[in-house]
Amino acid sequence: MFLTRSEYDRGVNTFSPEGRLFQVEYAIEAIKLGSTTVGIKTDEGVIIAVEKRVQSPLLESSSIEKIMEIDTHLGCAMSGLTADARTMIDHARVTAQNHAFTYDERIKVESVTQAVCDLALRFGESVHDEDAMMSRPFGVALLIAGVDELGPQLFHTDPSGTFVRYNAKAIGSGSEAAQAELQDKWHSKMTLQEAQILTLRVLKQVMEEKLDHNNVQLAQVTPDKGFEILNETRLKSVIDLM
Amino acid sequence: MMNSFADRFSTTGPIAELRKAQANVEDDQFSDAAWGSEAGFGSLAKGVPAFTVPNVPDPSAFLRLHTDDHADPNCRIKIQHGTTTLAFRFQGGVIVAVDSRATAGSYVASGTVKKVIEINPYLLGTMAGGAADCQFWETYLGMHCRLHELRQRERISVSAASKYLSNLVYSYKGMGLSMGTMICGWDKTGPAVFYVDSDGTRLKGDLFSVGSGSTFAYGVLDQGYRWDLTDEEAQELGRRSIYAAGHRDAFSGNTCNLYHVKEDGWRFIGNYDISQMHYEGPTGTGTGYGYDLRVEGRTSANPPPAAAAA
Amino acid sequence: MPDMVSLSRAASGQPSQFKTPYSENGGTILAVAGSRFCVVAGDTRRTDGYSQTRYAPKVFRLTDKAVLAVNGFSADGNMFVNKVRQQLEWYRHGHARDMPLHEIARLMQTMLYARRFFPYYVSNILSGIEEDGSGAVYTFDSVGSYERDTCRVAGAAQSFMQPYLDNQDDWYTRPSVHYKNQRSTHSSSRPTQLPLSSVLSLVMDSFVNASERHVEVGDGLEIYVVLAKGSSLQGLEKLTGAQEVTATSDGERVFTVRRSLRRD
Repeated sequence: MFLTRSEYDRGVNTFSPEGRLFQVEYAIEAIKLGSTTVGIKTDEGVIIAVEKRVQSPLLESSSIEKIMEIDTHLGCAMSGLTADARTMIDHARVTAQNHAFTYDERIKVESVTQAVCDLALRFGESVHDEDAMMSRPFGVALLIAGVDELGPQLFHTDPSGTFVRYNAKAIGSGSEAAQAELQDKWHSKMTLQEAQILTLRVLKQVMEEKLDHNNVQLAQVTPDKGFEILNETRLKSVIDLM
Repeated sequence: MMNSFADRFSTTGPIAELRKAQANVEDDQFSDAAWGSEAGFGSLAKGVPAFTVPNVPDPSAFLRLHTDDHADPNCRIKIQHGTTTLAFRFQGGVIVAVDSRATAGSYVASGTVKKVIEINPYLLGTMAGGAADCQFWETYLGMHCRLHELRQRERISVSAASKYLSNLVYSYKGMGLSMGTMICGWDKTGPAVFYVDSDGTRLKGDLFSVGSGSTFAYGVLDQGYRWDLTDEEAQELGRRSIYAAGHRDAFSGNTCNLYHVKEDGWRFIGNYDISQMHYEGPTGTGTGYGYDLRVEGRTSANPPPAAAAA
Repeated sequence: MPDMVSLSRAASGQPSQFKTPYSENGGTILAVAGSRFCVVAGDTRRTDGYSQTRYAPKVFRLTDKAVLAVNGFSADGNMFVNKVRQQLEWYRHGHARDMPLHEIARLMQTMLYARRFFPYYVSNILSGIEEDGSGAVYTFDSVGSYERDTCRVAGAAQSFMQPYLDNQDDWYTRPSVHYKNQRSTHSSSRPTQLPLSSVLSLVMDSFVNASERHVEVGDGLEIYVVLAKGSSLQGLEKLTGAQEVTATSDGERVFTVRRSLRRD
C-alpha cells in the first residue's frame, strides 16, 4: 500500500487516479495500532471485551476507559485513537436520547450505528456554517453492541463510515489472529457464559502481558439487564473459568 | 462555545425572539435534519429545540391575542389549564400528590391527566399551568438528566436538574410559557423539593402547592404538616389536601395521584377517586371526608360540642 | 423571515395590528378504542361564515394501524396531516419499519410544540392499533399536550357528544374514573368494552343527533375502522358501503364507511 503513496495522500478531498482516498485508508491503518477489542453476539446477549495496555506500574488502570455506555440497551468498545471515540460516542448518546425524546421509544442498534457513521463522514471542508466539523477522518473503530426488537446485535464501524453486522469481530493490533480464532470457535448456539470465556481466551492469545482483571475489561448487553460493565468480582470469576 | 451558551440564557426581548425566529425558518424545511439517522428530530436537530414564530412585529402579543383565555374567554385556541399539585419533604422522603383534571376554558377537557411526570427513577416533576409546556419541557429535562448521568457517571442532583429547567424556561421569558412545577427527588443531600416556574422563580423548600386549587390544599397541608410524620400519615396528608382542593376548586378534581420518593427512588402509591373519597374516605373505611360524618345524628337540640359552647 | 423593518419596529415596541391568520371551520371528530379495534369518525361539512363545502374530509389514514382526525382550522389541519405523513415516510427510510402508534403520538407532540409560539389551530385525535394489538385513542391540545384515552370527541359538537358517550354503559376499562353521575346504578362487574357493531351504531347516532342540533355539523359522515391483526370482520362485511382501504399486508386492516347526514 505504501508503495502507491503519492501526492494524492495529502488531502481528504481528493481521490487518487486509482480511485482511492488515502487519508481514509491511513485512518483505518491507525486502528491496527490500537489495543485488541473483541465482540461476540449470542442469542442471550452480546459480549464486548478490551485489552487495557497498562504501560507503567504507576498508571491507574481503572482510569483507562475503552468500553462506554450509549444508553441502557447499548454499549460500545473502541480501538484506535480513543480520544476520537469520545466525540462519536457523545454523538451516539445524544442521538439515542433525541430518538427517545421524539418517539418515546428506544433507538434501534442499527439506527444508532448509522448515526455514528453519518458523523464519521463529516470530515473535510465544512459545508455552509456547520460547527464541530472534523478536518480529518476519525482514527477509531467501534464495536457497537445492543439489544432491540430484532434481538442482540453487534456492529462494527470504521473510519470510512462503513458499518457491518457481525456474529463475532476483533479489531486492533491483534485482530488478525483473534479473528481467525473467533471464526474457528464461534457457533450459533453459544451461551452468554461461553461467549464471555471465549472473548477472554482470544484476548489472552494476543496479549503480551499475562491476562488478569486489571488489564482487561468485559461488558455485556442482555435483553433483561441491558448494558453492564462486569465488576471486579464477576470479571475474576470469568477469568477463573477460563 | 461559551458565547453561544451565554447567548442562550441571557436573551429576552423582541430582538432575541426574532433571532430565534430566523434560526427556525432556516431549519424548518431544508436542513440535514430531513434525512439520515437524524431524520425527524426536526426542531431538536440543532441540540436546542427551535420554534416557528409568526412573521409579525410582536410575536408574543400575537400569541396572547389568540391563546390567553383568562384575558379573553372567546379566544380561538384554548390551551388546557387548571390544577392542584403539592409536594412536601418530611423525614420519610418526599410526598407528591396531584389532581387529574384539565380544563379548556370552562370545559373539563379531561379527568385522567397524568400530572406527575416521571423524569427518571429518582426524579419527579409536577404539572401546573400549560399542560403542553410542562409535558414537553419536563420530558426534555429528563433527556438532559440522562445525558448528564452518562457523561458525568453519576446521577444529577435535584438542585442541578431544577436549575437546568429554570434556566431553560427563563430563556423564553415573556414569550408566553406557563409552567409552575415542583422538581422532587432524592440525591446525595437526601430528599429535596424545588419549585420552578416560567417567570424564572426557583425556590428550595420543604412544602409547596401550585395551581388554582393550591390555597385549599395549603389549608389542609399547613395544619397537618410535621417533619416527623410517618409514611402513612404523610401519604394521607397529601391525599386529604388534594381532596380538599378537588372539592372546593372548580378547576381541580376527578382523581388524586399519589407518589412517594424514598432513597431508592419514587414509587406510585395509588390513584384515588375524589368523589369516592368524599363519601367513603380513601381507605374504604366508610367514613368519608364529607359533611355527613360531622353532622351525623345532630339536631338543633343536640348540637355538636363546638356549637354548644358558643 | 422577519425583515429589518419589522425587526426595528419590534425593538421599539411600537404597537401593531395584525390580521388573524386563523379561522374556524366547524365540524366534529370522534374516536373510540375497542379492545382489538378502533373507530374514528368525522363529519364532512366545512363552514366559514356562510360559505360551506359539503365534502371536506377531516379523517385521514396515516398507515394501516393509525388514523388521524383533525378539527379546527382546516388549512392548518391539512398542512399538519401532510407534515406528519412526510415524517412517517422519512422514518420508514431511516429505521426500516412503520412507526408504531405510540411513537406517532410522541412525534405529534414534538411537531405541535415546535409551533408553540404560532400554534396550529387544530384539535387532533390520533387513533389506531398499538403494537400489543389493543385499540387506542390519543388526544392532543393545539400545542401538543397529549394522553391516551378510550373515547374522545373534539370540535363544534364536543359538548353535546362527549357527555352522551361518557354515559354509555360498558364503555370504559377503568371503572374508577368514569360514570360520576351513574354511580348508584353501577356495580364494578361490567363488561369491559362494547363490540364493534354497537360502537358503530352509537357513533352514527351521535352524529345524526349532532347534525340535528348544531349548524356546523352535517352533510356527510366518514368513519374509519381499524381492526387488529387476526381480528374477524365482526359484521363489517354486512354493513352497507363498507370499503376496505388497507394498503399493506402487515395484518391490520382499515375500512371506511360513509353515511349521509342532514344537508340543511
